[in-house]
Amino acid sequence: MNNKYKILLVEDEQNISTLVMTMLETAGYQVIPAGTCAMAKTLFISYCPDLVILDLGLPDMDGMTFLKEVRKNSLTPIIVLSARTNERDKVLALDSGANDYVTKPFGAAELLARIRSALRNCSHSADSGKLPGGRFSVQDLEILYDARQVFIKGREIKLTQTEYNIVALLSEHCGKMMTYSAIIKGVWGYPDEGSVKKLQVNMANIRKKFGVKPGEATYITNELGVGYRMNSD
Amino acid sequence: MKKKRHHLWKNIMIMAAVFLVASGSSIILQKTGVYEHITAIFIFAVFLTSILTDGYIYGIVSALVGTLAVNYAYTYPFYALNFRFQGNMVSAVVMMAIAVLTGMLTTQVKTHEAIKAESEKERMRANLLRAVSHDIRTPLTTIYGASTTLLESGDNYTKEQRIKILKGIQEDSDWLVRMVENLLSITRIDEGRIKIIKTPTVLDELIDSVMVKFHKRYPQQEVHLDLPEDIIVIPMDAILIEQVIFNLLENAVLHADGMTELILKVFVLGQQVVFEVSDDGCGIEKERLSGIFNGSYHLFEDKASSADSQKHNSGIGLSVCQTIIKAHDGVIAAENNAKGGAVFRFSLNREETSESE
Repeated sequence: MNNKYKILLVEDEQNISTLVMTMLETAGYQVIPAGTCAMAKTLFISYCPDLVILDLGLPDMDGMTFLKEVRKNSLTPIIVLSARTNERDKVLALDSGANDYVTKPFGAAELLARIRSALRNCSHSADSGKLPGGRFSVQDLEILYDARQVFIKGREIKLTQTEYNIVALLSEHCGKMMTYSAIIKGVWGYPDEGSVKKLQVNMANIRKKFGVKPGEATYITNELGVGYRMNSD
Repeated sequence: MKKKRHHLWKNIMIMAAVFLVASGSSIILQKTGVYEHITAIFIFAVFLTSILTDGYIYGIVSALVGTLAVNYAYTYPFYALNFRFQGNMVSAVVMMAIAVLTGMLTTQVKTHEAIKAESEKERMRANLLRAVSHDIRTPLTTIYGASTTLLESGDNYTKEQRIKILKGIQEDSDWLVRMVENLLSITRIDEGRIKIIKTPTVLDELIDSVMVKFHKRYPQQEVHLDLPEDIIVIPMDAILIEQVIFNLLENAVLHADGMTELILKVFVLGQQVVFEVSDDGCGIEKERLSGIFNGSYHLFEDKASSADSQKHNSGIGLSVCQTIIKAHDGVIAAENNAKGGAVFRFSLNREETSESE
């Protein structure tokens, strides 16, 4: 009887598959490998994995098809692992329901961190990072949802309404990469021509107010051209 | 297909416009009672049409129409076609000849120019490929050699030695990754579209993203940032500009020997935003400075220093930078600092701020 997290690894490249499998097994996960989309579908249904690592370029069909199919009736976290580095591909995958996107080549430490983050996020999915009383806390950052207050190291940070809405939204999806359009939809409700710019301006201000220097990525990770993620540790 | 149709319409419009102007001025001349220059005006119109349009056909059509118009409306007998009158025949023949000859000439010049541009592009591509293959071979040799050594006789080495060999593999594959990224950047520009897609990007977000990547790669290297206080928006392909800044910072780390301080400064100069990467290292040799952005730097280094082949070349990185900045209609330059060390500087146009948000 084991109590390991099950990870479905969908990857056709034998070398990478072996490498990732070794990496994951060493880190204490149970790995179910699949080389094709068809196989992945069968294994997904029969094993009910806790997380899926998905390569997009598969021999029988595009990984995106599998991603969309799974998302129809399952919230299992999916991390896309792909050689496609274009922002458009990333945005497409994230908007179709992927939780995160790791580009090849990747480091072991990075992939494992993303997996931990996705699993943690899922395990208390309804109230990810949220503590009783509508409180969110990660590192030195604390959010009181009812009072709409944000603290860093116990000191209150004065945010504008929009800035607070963005921070709150990211914290509710802590650990998940949120695309520009997802954030804009959540905060402004509708996209318009300058909304990405508006979002970026707000993010720059939030970073300044948080006292984070460019390049530190302390609380929020910025993926240029794609979106933002609140770090879960 | 669409483009072709667009060209067709453009040519027809040019032809029609030139013809209308010619007819208009002819009517005015006719009203004032001057007839003898009307033929000359139409000859000039045919000539213009042949130059401005593609191929022969528009020139010939305009010559035909022009002949008929001159014959019908502007020469004796007025408002009747008459080819028995000798002068009319002569002007018709002259116009046709001009149309055909000008058409031939301009077509020839245009094809010649296209061939020249194409061969220039080919030459650059060949240079780049040659430089890249050379640069790629070095780390590949290390990776191949090191992994073979470990597989075949790994047991003979101590743990420290094995880690050292593995680190070499890691470093060189890391370098290859970045090289491939640079090449991908070029294909982003070359992908058949002449213009890159620019999106308004907030400067702070750009710098943040670059610095995260840079710290990840060079955790030891501190970068002193000097950014403007205001929010600045620049239309750009952010991924490409990120690549440029990263390349410039990395160049300093790899090539500026004796560097103690690395500065990234951004400031606004009128409608332009200037990015400046400066170090206080060894600077750039004068002979290298002139060709530093176009690969000739690379050829030079081949001859000069086979000794430091360990240190990979920056020629590709810089020519990539130049390609990217040029595609943004910006300017990039390198110079030596008066106090010592090198300065790399590029400028981009900032977003025109008509509305104040």
